[in-house]
Amino acid sequence: MPVLPKSLSGFTVIPIAYSHSTHYIYARAHVTSKSKASKPANVLPEARTLFIVNVPPDATERELALLFKHCGTVERVLFDFNSADNTLVENSPDSDEEMGEDADAEEADTGTDTEARPRKKRKIYTSEPTPPEVISLPNQSLRILHKTGSCAHLIFLDASSLAKALSPSASSKPLPWPSSEEPRGLSHYLAKYDAERPPLDTIRAHADSYMERFEFDLAKSKQEAKYRKGEAVVDEDGFTLVTRGGAYGQTLGGGVGVASKKFMLTGKTGSRKRKEKKQEKETFYAFQKAEKQRKAILDLKRNFEADKQRVEKLKESRRFKPY
Amino acid sequence: MDMSESDRHGEEGPLTGHELKDIKDAADLYQSGSFKLQIDALLPNVRPKESARQQLDRFLLSLRNHILSLPSIIPQNPLTAAQTLAKQGVAVPFVHPLPSRDDKWKVAFEPPMEINIVGSWGNGIAVKKKNGGRFGVDLSVEMPYSLFQEKDYLDGRFFHKKSYYLAVLAQSISTSFDVDTFYASPLGDPRLTTLVIRPRKGSTSHDFSKSHADIYIIPILPSPNPLPPAKLSPSHSNVRIPSVLPSPSPIYNNAVLLSTYPKLALLSTHELKNSSPAFHDAHTLLRVWANQRGYGDGELCVKGFEGKGSFWTGLLRLLVSGEEPVATKSGNAKLRRPLGKGLSSYQLFKAALDFLAKQKFDETPAFTKAIDGHKYPLEEYIAHHPAVFVDRTSTINFLSDVPLTSLDLISHDAKETLEQLNNPGTSDDVFAECFLKSERGLFTRFDAVVGVDLPQATQNQSALAVVEHGSPDAALLASVASILRRGLGDRTKAIAILQPGTPFRPISSAQSPSTSTIHIGLIYDPAHAFRLVDHGPSAENQDSSVAEEFRHLWGNRAELRRFKDGRIAESVVWEVATSDERAHIPVSIIRHLLQLHFGISAEHVRTLQTPFDSMLRLPDDVRRLHRAAGGYKAAVTAFDDIVRNLKALDEQLPLALLNVSPISEYLRYTSTFAPLPVSASTLMALPESLRFLPTIPIILEFEKSSKWPDDLKAIQKVKLAFFESIARSLMVSKPGLKASVAIGDSSTPFQGLATLEIFAAEGWAFSASIWHDREATLLDRIIGSSKTLAPSDQEHSVREQREAKAARELYTRTFIHSPRHHRAIANLCHKYSAYSGTVRLVKRWLAVHWLLRSHVSEEAIEIICARPFVGGKQTSTEDAATVPHSKERGFALVIEFLGDWKWEEPLFIPLYEDNTPAPAPEIVAVSAKQGVWTLSTAEDRTGRMWTSYGPDHVSAHRLRALAKEAIKIIQDAETDSDIKRLFSHSTDDYDVVIELNSAVLPRYYQNVNANSSVWSRDSHSGVVESTPRPGFDPLPLFLADLQSTFADTLKFFADPFGGDRIGAIWLPDLKAPRPFRALAGFSSKPLPKEDKAKDKELVMLNRQSIIDDIERLGSGLIKNIVTR
Repeated sequence: MPVLPKSLSGFTVIPIAYSHSTHYIYARAHVTSKSKASKPANVLPEARTLFIVNVPPDATERELALLFKHCGTVERVLFDFNSADNTLVENSPDSDEEMGEDADAEEADTGTDTEARPRKKRKIYTSEPTPPEVISLPNQSLRILHKTGSCAHLIFLDASSLAKALSPSASSKPLPWPSSEEPRGLSHYLAKYDAERPPLDTIRAHADSYMERFEFDLAKSKQEAKYRKGEAVVDEDGFTLVTRGGAYGQTLGGGVGVASKKFMLTGKTGSRKRKEKKQEKETFYAFQKAEKQRKAILDLKRNFEADKQRVEKLKESRRFKPY
Repeated sequence: MDMSESDRHGEEGPLTGHELKDIKDAADLYQSGSFKLQIDALLPNVRPKESARQQLDRFLLSLRNHILSLPSIIPQNPLTAAQTLAKQGVAVPFVHPLPSRDDKWKVAFEPPMEINIVGSWGNGIAVKKKNGGRFGVDLSVEMPYSLFQEKDYLDGRFFHKKSYYLAVLAQSISTSFDVDTFYASPLGDPRLTTLVIRPRKGSTSHDFSKSHADIYIIPILPSPNPLPPAKLSPSHSNVRIPSVLPSPSPIYNNAVLLSTYPKLALLSTHELKNSSPAFHDAHTLLRVWANQRGYGDGELCVKGFEGKGSFWTGLLRLLVSGEEPVATKSGNAKLRRPLGKGLSSYQLFKAALDFLAKQKFDETPAFTKAIDGHKYPLEEYIAHHPAVFVDRTSTINFLSDVPLTSLDLISHDAKETLEQLNNPGTSDDVFAECFLKSERGLFTRFDAVVGVDLPQATQNQSALAVVEHGSPDAALLASVASILRRGLGDRTKAIAILQPGTPFRPISSAQSPSTSTIHIGLIYDPAHAFRLVDHGPSAENQDSSVAEEFRHLWGNRAELRRFKDGRIAESVVWEVATSDERAHIPVSIIRHLLQLHFGISAEHVRTLQTPFDSMLRLPDDVRRLHRAAGGYKAAVTAFDDIVRNLKALDEQLPLALLNVSPISEYLRYTSTFAPLPVSASTLMALPESLRFLPTIPIILEFEKSSKWPDDLKAIQKVKLAFFESIARSLMVSKPGLKASVAIGDSSTPFQGLATLEIFAAEGWAFSASIWHDREATLLDRIIGSSKTLAPSDQEHSVREQREAKAARELYTRTFIHSPRHHRAIANLCHKYSAYSGTVRLVKRWLAVHWLLRSHVSEEAIEIICARPFVGGKQTSTEDAATVPHSKERGFALVIEFLGDWKWEEPLFIPLYEDNTPAPAPEIVAVSAKQGVWTLSTAEDRTGRMWTSYGPDHVSAHRLRALAKEAIKIIQDAETDSDIKRLFSHSTDDYDVVIELNSAVLPRYYQNVNANSSVWSRDSHSGVVESTPRPGFDPLPLFLADLQSTFADTLKFFADPFGGDRIGAIWLPDLKAPRPFRALAGFSSKPLPKEDKAKDKELVMLNRQSIIDDIERLGSGLIKNIVTR
């Protein structure tokens, strides 16, 4: 077998021993691109982040940590970081502590996304009364599959581990692919089926607490807003603010509700149909009539010619040989 | 654009009056302008080419000279004469009753008085035959007067003389010319034997193969007729058989008269052709139409129409000349008025179809207006022929040897074509349906097809009948036709008796080979076909001949019964246990009658209904293990129960439940397998591979309320709370019922994937979702936000918008379209009895070929299957001639359509009953990765609702190829194993086949080749669980995971109904090595560097490691992975 290259376009090739084959992971030190330089630096600390390509589709954070255990302790792993869009990047500093524990179970946990924002708010309004806590649905650690050939960012605890991981000596012999305890295959699907059907009590607790929190946030945002429901908002120049209505005609934020969304977009009001303008008579003048007849004849001819061409075309395809 | 167009018009100038008239005529006198053009394009293709005539004419001339110069042969005993010829290798095709040594009369040969080209070739109206059949050039050879005696009309003496004459000609021509010679007996009737001359390819002097024609030599009677015409009227008895009372021999007489007909017909047709300019074209159209439907020669001919070319000219003759008034049983029938001579060919053709569709030849005989009155009293025809259609020259009855069943069929076919022609506004190509498409496929044409081995029949036909019909086979078939027609009665609209066209035979063989297998095709009348009881005459007239006939017809099945209304009557009762058996009643009747009257035992009467039925049924031992009687009715009842229980909870819910809509195939009769309840206790006792229990989705709609939060995520939580309280209350109110809330895969926060799962005590599982219409508005707001919101308000990110779009699509599909679709499909099932079975079979077929669900949605198939039923017409009823009445025929029609369908063009199906005219469906540009089908309905104009995700280009092409293959198998299907082949999938095309462990697949029992040892071997090999998991099926979950993980690497296929294998193909664009990229999106391996100079570093798809990945992902499921 010819020797495979140890590196490829600046990536270190790390062979992984599979049961019947060798899988290849490509690794490189993470470099923050210039366009993203303005982003908070602590998301991906440049010195200790390893960028790896072609992660096995079922890889878990634990498995990757085990794989690079010989280089040092892995702090955390971010999957598919590059393909994620801005929201994730913006939110990620806030959800820092969660990401670690929930990354695996994101799918099973409805709360993850929804909790992210309330917490953000909590941080801002620390002086306000504490909001009710949302009791999350139980999450079981289940594998999340990634698309094949996807990439991940591996953040080591220590900068020296990065160099170790990239040194060619580490990849001399294919490493075996470690396995974490999350179920795979049939047991994964069974576990998922059960996890998606939590006990009724949990659901009630979750739904109730979520709604409580929702009400709380709603009340707070109303309080925050300078507009009160049902009160006309008049600015210092004496102009009344006119806003669009909310659900069922209520104006949520206050102000005088009039214009519908449709009006804003199209400039047309409601469903009232205006009568069509009376059309001009088409055959009032003699010339119109003549013109119309002439046009009809020409149309007739044109259609006939078009038919003719169509049939010609069909003829070419030997369609008219019935048998 | 405008400029150039007006320029063009300027150049053209105004139309001339002549041009205008042509265009107007095309639109008025024909279906449409394009229809006329297509007719014009068709006609030259089915007529003989002028250029090839010369060769033929030269040969005909030399043939004529040869025949006229033949030496006479002295009169001798027929058998002696035959012996002389036999020595030269030529047999004399004598007819029944065969001549004997003692016969006093003698046969002789003298050169003919006259030779003429007659028939369609003589009139220049020949039409090409089906399947490359050659044109027939009829050559009438007038036998001299001196050969005949007055008594020759008796006992087939005329036919013997004619046969001898023919044999002499055969002997002489075969030795003098370099041509092939055969005997041909159309309809297997030796009396109609002709001598066929076929050019030999490469022969130097006598090759006329360019003209693509055979010459048929027909010896005819001279004029005046040496046989007394008065003795040949239909009522005369001309066959004497010792010890049998003489009875009229109308068919025999007709056959004698046929020998005087060719010359008369030539003149009559010539006159017609000259007087009616459209006759020639109309005749050609009519013949093409008839050939496409098997009224003529070929593999499967409709009984009685072989070699009946004169029937079609006679038909047009009748229309042009009008009818002779005749008093019938039902009084004076209203006469058709002769058609005008200025009619267009299309109008004349349509008039002919109209005549065929409406004429009931058995009740109202048709007599063409004769030039100087008819020769025989009309009543004689009516009394002695079952069907009467007498020609203009009053010589023959065209229908003397055509069974009534064939006439029913032709009338049905004509009706069908007229229906199509009268509804031209469809997207379907009417012209192609009418003339270009072969309608000879047995399974697409008939609701039931029965193959009968004729040699098994006991030959108990009387000698008289054999002589009368010409051959034992003909006599047998005539009897079969009349008995089946009586037995089936109004159950069928038409019975087709199809037999292979009689082949040419060498001139050394006297007898035409006997028919081996015939096919009987049935077209049901849905109102009566599946009737359980046939009523006979009541008990009072027990001794009448009617009762006697009834008992004779049904044999021991006939019994006296007292009915609910107190009547006591003769009757036949057909016992059925299942709906499948009920669908088999007409075929059972055929089996019974053939056994009773002809001794053909059941195994020689073959149908393919049972193998089709078994595709939709679970194996018997599975049904025993499930211990439940399911069925659609039971499922609907269970659904109604659940609705009642839910409504009863009104007090305990904050909002009133308005509506519960079913959206499941199990509740609209279209699931491949009938729904089956399995109670929790039974379920846990079952082995893993029998445990699958489908959940039936339903939709709950609550009253409108302002209490709902105005936030998408909060709405989902409120739904959870709703589900929770419904679940609790339900479990309290109905002990034994289990309810749980499935929160669903909620990685997308906007989609309400949570459902309420109800597992009723009887074993039915439902999953309910809540429809809240505010969601749509909120989602639309997010989708539309980017346009109006200021950049500062970037709260809705790109990702959110994408998710909202997906959620909105799901919302529209689940809550808006699914219930509508469900109602429409349920309506179809009620309206068309065969629709449900058709859908089920087609779904099974698609599933077996690994395309259903993951590539073709079930709803899309339900819509496509509606096509043969609703066609392009809005107001079709079950009665329409084009509608199939059995699931087998529906299946064949759908498969045929899938094979022919050009899905590049959108398809409109009038699934919903509304009267708005069908607009042209909008054509949406489709990318290669999306579904390529456009199935437009009144509720879904763009036609993408059920096909946006598939089939894509690859699977659509695959499906088309599979359907083309399948339709071939169906049309040639003879035995059960052919149907098995139809439903078996070859895995040769797949690069990777993942074999699964069938013992852990809960749905395995639905597999088409399910092996019962899997569930009988070990009951609990896998995980032993205490709670049932209704709806759990790992195969689709695994398949979906594979599809999303390897979307750009592999394409996966699997059978959703218990499939135990997954097939995959590598996508072709990853075959070659590629330069390395970090975000390539596939698993790669570096290539060893060969050339240092190359700056590109290449990688290859790492196939084996992907296989290992798959193996790891499916651990516990996968048994083995085979790669190619």
